[in-house]
Parts: sequence; structure tokens; C-alpha cells
Amino acid sequence: MAAPLPTFVTRRRPDWDALQALLTRQRAGRLGLTELRTLDMLYRRAAADLAQAQTFYPGTDAHRFLNQLCAQAYGAIYQPPRERWASTRDFFRRDFPATLRREARFVGVSAGLLVLGLLLGALVVTLEPRGAELLVPEGVRRYVAQGRMWTDDLLSVAPPNAVASGIATNNLTVTLFAFASGILLGVGPIFTLVNNGVLIGAVGALCFREGMMAGFLDFIAAHGPVELSIIVIAGGAGLMVGQALIDPGELPRAQALQARGREAVKLVVGCAPFLACIGVVEGFISPGHLFPTWAKVGLGLSLGALFWLYLLRAGRTDAVRAGEARASSRLR
Amino acid sequence: MTPSASAPHVDVATPERVALSLPVAGIGYRCLAWLVDASLLFFFWVALYFVITLLVSDVLGAFQALSGLTQTLLAVGLFATQWLYWTLAEVFFHGQTPGKRVLRIRVVREDGSPVGFFESAVRNLCRAVDFLPVFYATGCITMLLDSRHRRLGDLLAGTVLVREEAIDLDKYTQGPAMDAPGPGSGAAPGSGAGMQRPLDAEDVELVLAFLARAPGLEPEVRQRLGTRLVDRVGAALTDEERARVLQSTEATEAFLRTRAKAVH
Repeated sequence: MAAPLPTFVTRRRPDWDALQALLTRQRAGRLGLTELRTLDMLYRRAAADLAQAQTFYPGTDAHRFLNQLCAQAYGAIYQPPRERWASTRDFFRRDFPATLRREARFVGVSAGLLVLGLLLGALVVTLEPRGAELLVPEGVRRYVAQGRMWTDDLLSVAPPNAVASGIATNNLTVTLFAFASGILLGVGPIFTLVNNGVLIGAVGALCFREGMMAGFLDFIAAHGPVELSIIVIAGGAGLMVGQALIDPGELPRAQALQARGREAVKLVVGCAPFLACIGVVEGFISPGHLFPTWAKVGLGLSLGALFWLYLLRAGRTDAVRAGEARASSRLR
Repeated sequence: MTPSASAPHVDVATPERVALSLPVAGIGYRCLAWLVDASLLFFFWVALYFVITLLVSDVLGAFQALSGLTQTLLAVGLFATQWLYWTLAEVFFHGQTPGKRVLRIRVVREDGSPVGFFESAVRNLCRAVDFLPVFYATGCITMLLDSRHRRLGDLLAGTVLVREEAIDLDKYTQGPAMDAPGPGSGAAPGSGAGMQRPLDAEDVELVLAFLARAPGLEPEVRQRLGTRLVDRVGAALTDEERARVLQSTEATEAFLRTRAKAVH
């Protein structure tokens, strides 16, 4: 026979209050060893009380209180390993490149889509000159018609400066949207990739027709390789999410989505510092004539090569070992 | 019986073999929390703007005079505060942004453990999609359709928002019943209480809920509900005892209080 509810609460309440106080202090800072032991003991007692409340006092406030108390203590005790600086270093040294190599086919498809868009845009503008009016933004077209690069003003004080910050925020938006829109059944990344490919292809073809190819290459050479790589990688991450939605495999759709989402966001988070660096290159080096074209091309190609060398080589031996471990665990 | 009995919740199996069930925060809580956070960010930017206008007289002119690089950095910084605010707050304040703290809701993983950096990064990156086309329309529709009120970002990150209720245990332990006599030796209004069987948890909860709300009720409603409760929990009362208990609301409630807290 269970004790009446008030008796139960009165008898057990000191322990609960003590547990609550310990949890508050745990949130605020660190606990000593003895306090941790007390926390553990009090949590087990509260869990036992919760079991009792579930049986004898279901649906009462006491039950709800214990449920909440145990949930807080559970969260405090069974914490997942914390991400610290060491794990950040480990992430960039091994995890990020390894994830990219594991998901290489998505990045490949993503690159294919971008190239498809590029060809499409270039083809339309080359074959049908009026197509440029449709595909190339108004501001850019006006500059090209005047025979100037729109990027010449990037470092100057001229008012149509909005183009400059527009380009930079555009990269950020494109990268993020290429990933996040993957949840729309993968349609979002496909659209983003093809759309941007068409834009770049169309602008390139327009410049070529107007005899400004040198200026165009001069602008995109320094940052283009790395920047396009990053957009392609983010698009690949978005495609991973879309694929998990369309074909979840043996998992329920929600679980597949979470498992793939965690992998995919690694690609985006991993790209973030590189995106910031290339943004600096795009802001400082690419526009204007401070640096000669050959220097820009050389810089762009070597940055791109370094980036992909890092992606394809870093932590390779560990990845092989991890792959073997995974294979053997699958056999078991 | 309880209002939250049918509300959505997350079930967690603990190693202690006790199942926890966390109440999920609905769309109302989430919108309010977002409003608080959004106003905080808004006032931050307004304050920043005023500080800058104090330092620089012609803001628009100064902005246009900035080079493209500075503008770029400004735009990137603006974005970073928008995204970093949510992610850092969730990572360092145990799944709570200031707005969520005010509303007492918290982001946790679906197994009830605290969120890590990656989960928080995913769900906040997905804000961009959830916001489409305007004011979280996509996110709100997803929340309405999902049984646990998750938006797309939560679905992708495997997180869920849980509610923390302020539950007052004092009603069980405080009041006159604490120094009430044990079984047998009856005090004036509730003399019959000691001799009766103890109430089950459901009745205790009912009586305590009534006592908590009684001061706010209309007098005749208060009287009527009190009478019904006395009839429910005081079956063993004799007629004159019952008449004495029902003389006034104070006597009725004192009897109910003693009855609910009778410690055996």
C-alpha cells in the first residue's frame, strides 16, 4: 500500500530540493567531486521516486515535478562529449576532409549541375544574343555596354557600391541556401546550382562577345576556383539531405534525415573559414588593377590546388583505418 | 484527467529504467520566444545605430564613403551576429537563447540530452529555409503538421523544444496541515478527517487544485464546488458534522485542506 501523496511528498522533498540546488549550481559552474557524487546519488533516488510516482500517483503535480527534475538531472549527468578546441582541430585535420571524400559522389553530382548551368548560360547567350537581357542582371549589362568592368568600382568611392557588398553577401547566401534548401526534397540545391551556373555562364559569354573576356577572367581568376568549389561542396551537402528524404534506405525517414543532416552540416561548417578567407581575396585582390592578371591567375590556381589537396589528402591514413574498422564492425 | 495528459511529449528511456516524458513546447511558446529574441536583436541594432550617429554625424554619407571591403565585412558581420547569436546562445546556455529562457523552453536532442554545436548549427542554418517566404511560414506549417511541433531545422538536426513548468510543491506540504494532529485527536472543523480512509492521489490533486483557485472564484460557485468536494471526500461524516463543515466557506476549505493533507 502506497503512502498518501502528501506524506510521500513531505518525506522525500528534502532530497529533491537538494538535487534542484545542485543542478542550479552545476549550470552556473563546476561542482566538486563530493558534490558530483551527491548529485549522482540524489538523481538515482529521484529516479526511484519517479518510478513510484508513475505507479501510484500518475497525473499529479508531484509526478510532473519529479519527471521534470529527473529530466534536468538526466541532461546534466548523461552529457554527450563536449566539442572543445581539440575536437575543432581534429575536425579540420581529419573529420571534414574524410567526410568530403566519403560523400564525393554528391559533390561530383553537384559540380556536374553547376557545369551544366554554366554551359547552358553560355550557350543561350552565344546563340541568342538577346538572351543576355533575360539572364544577365541589369546593372552588369549597363557596365558591359559601356565597355567597363562593373568590378572596377569595387575599391573606389563611387555610389553604385551596392554591387560590391551585393556580391559578397550573395556568395554567403548562395552557399547557405544551397545547403539548407536541400530539405525541400533536394530541389533547392539543384535550382541554386544550375541558376548560379547559368548566371556565371551568361555573364562570361556576354563579356566574351563584347571583347571583355580578359577583364572577366582578371576578376574571377583569383577567387573563382575556391569559391566555386565551396558552392559545389555546399550544394553536395544539400543534395545529401535531399537524397535522405527521397531514399532513406533502411532507416525511417526522420532518422535517415538526422543521420545524413549531421554529416552534411559538417561539409558546410568545414567550408566556413575557407569562405571567409576567399571573401577577403575577393574584396582585396580581385577588383581593380593593383595586381597584374598573371599574379591573380597564379594565386587563384594555387589556392584552388591547395584547397583540393587538403580536401583529398588530409587525414587520409586515419580515414583508411576508420574505414577498415567500419567494415569489420559491419561484418560482425 | 490532467490538462497535459494528451499533449505531445518526448519519451526518454534512461539507464535507470525509468521512462521520462518531456512536454513539448508548442507553436505559441516558440513564436513568443522568437519575438523576444527578435526584439532583443532589433534593439541591439537600434542602439548600435544611435551610438554610431553620436560618433558620426552623417551616417549615410559615411556608409557610402566606406570602401567595398568594409561594406562587405559589415554585411558579413551582420549575418554572423544573426546566426552566431542563436547558435552560441544555444550551445553555451544549455539550449536556451534569452527568449527561450524567458518562456522557459529549451532545445534538447530527441533523446533528451543537451544540444551540441553541430545540432545547433544545423537548426539555425535552416532558419533561412524555415523563414521562407515570409515570417517563418514554412516553419510554422511544418510545426503544425509535425506531431512534436518541430520545424524543418529541428527535423534535420534531430532536436525538439521542451517546456519547463513551474510546479509548486508547497501546496502538498505547507499550511495548517503541517501542525495538524495525527489520526484520532480531532481539531475543531475537520474532526472527522482523521478517522477516515486516506484519499487517493486523484482526490488529493482535485482538492488541492480547488483550494488553489478558491480565492478567485465567485462566492456562490466557491460554495457550490466546496460542497460537492466535501460530499466526495467526506463520505464518512455524520449529518451534524457535515452541517458544521458546510456552515461557512472558511470551515469547508479548512476541512478540505486537513483532509487532503492528512498524514497517516
